[in-house]
Amino acid sequence: MEDLASKTIDHAMKLGAEFADLRLESSQGTNIVVMDGKTKTVTAHLSSGCGVRAFIDGAWGFAVTNDISQSSLSAASESAVKMARVAKDRAKVKFKISSSKAQRAVERYRCDTAPSDVPMEEKVSLASSLDRSMRSTDPRIVSTNARYDDFEGERIVANSFGTLVRTRETWTLAACSAWAKSDGVIQRGHDAIGMVGGYELMRTEKALSLGAEAAAQALRLLDSKPAPAGKFVCVLDNKMTGLLAHEAFGHACEADAVLAGASVLEGRVGQKVACSGVTLADDPSIEASFGFFSHDWEGVKADKHVLIEDGVLKGYLHNLESSSRMGTEPSGSSRAQTYGSPPIIRMSNTFIAPGDWKKDELLEDTKDGLLIQGSQYGYVEPSKGQFMFKCDEAYAIRHGEVGERYRDASLSGVILEVLNNVTGVADDFMVGDPGYCGKAGQSARTSDGGPHLRVADVVVGGLV
Amino acid sequence: MVDLQSLSALAERTVSMTTRAGADRCDVVAADTNAISVDLEKGSVKQANIFSDPGVGVRAFVKGASGFAVCTGLDEAAVSRAAAMAVSLARAGTPDKDFKDLPVARQVTTLPGLYEPKVAEIGPDEVVVMVIEMSDIAGDHKKVTSSNASAAVSVCQVALANSNGFSSAQRMTSVDLVVEAVARDGEAMFSGYDGCSGRRLEQGAIERVSGVARDQAVKGLVQTKLETGDYAIIMDPLAAGFVLGNAIGGGLNADSVQRGRSFLAGKLGETVGSPGVSIYDDPTIEWASGSTSFDGEGTPAARSVLVDKGRLASYLYDSYTAGKESRGSTGNSSRGGSVWSYRHPPSISTTNLVVSPGDSSFDEMVRETRSGAYVRATFDYPNLATGEFSGLMMESYVIRDGELGPAIRQSTMGIGIVEMLSRVDMVGKTPRDYFGVQTPPFRISSARIAGSG
Repeated sequence: MEDLASKTIDHAMKLGAEFADLRLESSQGTNIVVMDGKTKTVTAHLSSGCGVRAFIDGAWGFAVTNDISQSSLSAASESAVKMARVAKDRAKVKFKISSSKAQRAVERYRCDTAPSDVPMEEKVSLASSLDRSMRSTDPRIVSTNARYDDFEGERIVANSFGTLVRTRETWTLAACSAWAKSDGVIQRGHDAIGMVGGYELMRTEKALSLGAEAAAQALRLLDSKPAPAGKFVCVLDNKMTGLLAHEAFGHACEADAVLAGASVLEGRVGQKVACSGVTLADDPSIEASFGFFSHDWEGVKADKHVLIEDGVLKGYLHNLESSSRMGTEPSGSSRAQTYGSPPIIRMSNTFIAPGDWKKDELLEDTKDGLLIQGSQYGYVEPSKGQFMFKCDEAYAIRHGEVGERYRDASLSGVILEVLNNVTGVADDFMVGDPGYCGKAGQSARTSDGGPHLRVADVVVGGLV
Repeated sequence: MVDLQSLSALAERTVSMTTRAGADRCDVVAADTNAISVDLEKGSVKQANIFSDPGVGVRAFVKGASGFAVCTGLDEAAVSRAAAMAVSLARAGTPDKDFKDLPVARQVTTLPGLYEPKVAEIGPDEVVVMVIEMSDIAGDHKKVTSSNASAAVSVCQVALANSNGFSSAQRMTSVDLVVEAVARDGEAMFSGYDGCSGRRLEQGAIERVSGVARDQAVKGLVQTKLETGDYAIIMDPLAAGFVLGNAIGGGLNADSVQRGRSFLAGKLGETVGSPGVSIYDDPTIEWASGSTSFDGEGTPAARSVLVDKGRLASYLYDSYTAGKESRGSTGNSSRGGSVWSYRHPPSISTTNLVVSPGDSSFDEMVRETRSGAYVRATFDYPNLATGEFSGLMMESYVIRDGELGPAIRQSTMGIGIVEMLSRVDMVGKTPRDYFGVQTPPFRISSARIAGSG
């Protein structure tokens, strides 16, 4: 495989590429969905292919093949170079890819039990038992969904600087959703666990309790009320702080958005963008997390990147291109969903660092506000500077006491304001809420987290 | 690309293999997609891509349990392994008496408006010209500081066969354009977005989407804040398409309905909208992005009325959910939208969702609104269990005394989906297609807005 990769890169260079790289992959995976006591689908995929990229004078060409024979890879090289020439002829911005040190590595991410060594029947049994655990909780649980995913893949990243990184990667994920019904009201609860690692995750207490957690949340929400609309002081839990870090700042720190002139953080490195005491980082090196990787999809060694330090913007997330154009080091933030997608700048594990407040003191110190718990989803437009995220549950805080329960609160904010409105950072740090982040049609496994965080003047959307 | 006949022959052979391996029922999709896309960043062509993605997806049923296996490429040996694996996966599943059958073999009429030879002939140079034209138009304003664009053309060939003797194939083309303009004025910054999808490049599409993105970017630079309160809201087709695509597409999914997970469960025949609201699903619209001659299981394409003058008329069915109710499928088993994929098992989805136009012009709707907002874009999802929707007004404008005013900064809107449809009091004349939803703008008489003012 390595030989095939090297020959493909050499071929692209001989055809006139200034720089070339590729991702040659072979993978297998499983997806099991159990609904209401029966398997909905048991799915397996076997996938292999290669994406070749060629760079000429400010422009990229990218070609994909599902056939990893030498002849197909050579043809993909030729297509990539041809496409780069087509793009180059109309590229106004000219730049070079700065030569970087060749990386050579063969790595195998920790995996104690390979999912492929676990019989399919055992995986189905796991998903079925998670499904059963929800339905056995309470007769008000009327419908259930349990899901199990695994992935095992081998990826070779090679480039014309001499980089050749072979990575064996395994990840697993399980998720549960429960619907509770009472007096005509239906509510949904959910919980998920995932990590870069093997089937051993599925044998942990946390995995086995997913169903109970999802069911408990659905039942709690039965007596919740629609969230009030207006401006509030909000105390965010660990998961919501993570979603804030990811949506409100992480995306705007991606250097491709900056280069496209589509981030409000353009030109603000070194400036104060948050309150003192707020530190925000993206760290792919957290082992066993869902966002873990040690070399990125361009073969660059991945390290922790501090994006905001004590309120000051320190830098952006980079790939080879953005670091070349902005005169900095690549930070190992380039990722591709599969060989079929060109690598783009992505986050990994994004979080706000812990502070000094005790969580209970933060709540007690809040006269009137909302406690926001659990993240559903969020999105941002870095070019408008606005973001939004939705929580699972919200609670009224009155005179430091947590009270009435609300559902479906959506929180919106302005990137350049929200972290300047932080009035307290707790010391209860946690990273690990797994999810998939979407960008440019690609999905990447990520996680986020942080401490409880108090933010003033948050616009909360609700129905009343 | 592989020719359609060969693809059909492979699908049929794979059905035989899967049946021999022990499947009670099975279906096989063999697909071969070629695509070219070009991305332009800040006025400069940045990347040109060429994709080739042949592969096969095999779905096997054993005692009603389904197993699905995928292999990339069309190599016969790999396909054979996928067939055996699909059967093995089905055996590991739970027997399911609710599964009745796959669609029976029927003659499929190939619809017009799925394949445009001119699109199939477009080369990378022409796609480059398209994105440059988009960027030039979107950037044609002194306050626009950046314009980003992408264009993609694809040719997708699919063959579908099942163990009931169904076998058909079709060729589909598609064109997707996306453009963003970013405008700045001092510290103020705003972006405008527009795009379109279809099975051919409509005349004037490039000029229209690029001009809209440019104009919206510049308009949004002047901003105001809104007090929290109840306001009339005019939903643009962009915002309405995203919300309704998820609310109606998800809420009417018969699987969710049968499991009691949807806010629209038990509401068949009931009023869920005002008399001015009629919504249907139609895979037969010429050149629309979701059009197809047959669905992902082989049910021939047909139009389904979903909401008839405010009354809920039908849910969206595939063969499994239809079998559960001993009725026919509505042909909403999907293998993807404009481009079919062999990589995932089919699932229930709308094809082209259509909201029937009314008789109001956009200007009339604005003129007749005393205090309200025009919401051009939101990308939030409703809670499908409760039907409640609260979302960010990502791009919105204030309306005061019949006049469209500045952009609204940091606000969210909240309303139940049934309330939203029931409060529709004006429906526009001119639809646009976003996210596979063809809808005109419409006005909601009242919804809650949480403002930052």
